[in-house]
Amino acid sequence: MHQFLSTYSDTLGMSPVSAITTIFGAFCVTFVVIICWGKLVEDFGPKGGMLCSAIIVGTFWVVNHKLPGFGINPEGLAHPDGGTKQFGLIYQGFKGAAPWVDMGTCIAIGLWCHSLFLGKRGERGALVRESLPRVLAMILGGIVGGGVLGLVGWTGANLFGYK
Amino acid sequence: MNWKKHFSTFTGAAICGAACFAIWPEMWKSYGIMGGWLAATIIISIMWYMNHWLGVIENPPGMLWADQGFAISAAGIAWAVVRFDAVPTQALPTMICCAVVVKQVLPRYNGQSDKK
Repeated sequence: MHQFLSTYSDTLGMSPVSAITTIFGAFCVTFVVIICWGKLVEDFGPKGGMLCSAIIVGTFWVVNHKLPGFGINPEGLAHPDGGTKQFGLIYQGFKGAAPWVDMGTCIAIGLWCHSLFLGKRGERGALVRESLPRVLAMILGGIVGGGVLGLVGWTGANLFGYK
Repeated sequence: MNWKKHFSTFTGAAICGAACFAIWPEMWKSYGIMGGWLAATIIISIMWYMNHWLGVIENPPGMLWADQGFAISAAGIAWAVVRFDAVPTQALPTMICCAVVVKQVLPRYNGQSDKK
């Protein structure tokens, strides 16, 4: 079974099992956000939205992104083949060699597609054209924010032995 | 003037992305799983309030929803590339799994909500 499941690992760049868990995890969190978040905001106003961030994003962070260790092995358990073993549903490449793919990716694309398909058939092109500059500004902002944050690794201070 | 709104979106996105990856890994390193859950509570709640409830990220009613997840997604990749010398293309398989397949199923369930 293990051999069969890892047949296409090299072609895909990830093992097929990881593809299955990633798709399932992405589906779960996006589905719950689309169904519940809007309703809770309607019911409780901004308090509902802030509650959602805890009970939806917090809970699905544990499902999708947790790595082993309860403050003990936070860097993950070493894998014999290199890298670290992960227990979250969304696959991450080997630590230090692959960028972090957040579940924000699937939530954002899911909500975007959701509102796209809610639109009338003839108006979808215009909707996409209207939203593209906003999405582009946001991705640019994310790149700048994340990139500047990443620069702190270059300050040279080595206070607690962290890289 | 549309550029002001795009700049507002840009600013909200940058703050949200930086906040996520400044706090989340540290909380998780210090307190394990509960730290990660707590990080979601304190970061996403205030960022959602700023970006989506007060509207720093521009979302006109009736148009496509642009979620702050786009910002977090881009920030996660940029952060790891700058900080850990990560190879951007290695994110592709997971990105594709996140993006493509599932989204064809979602719109069949109509949540009828316009505020998230």
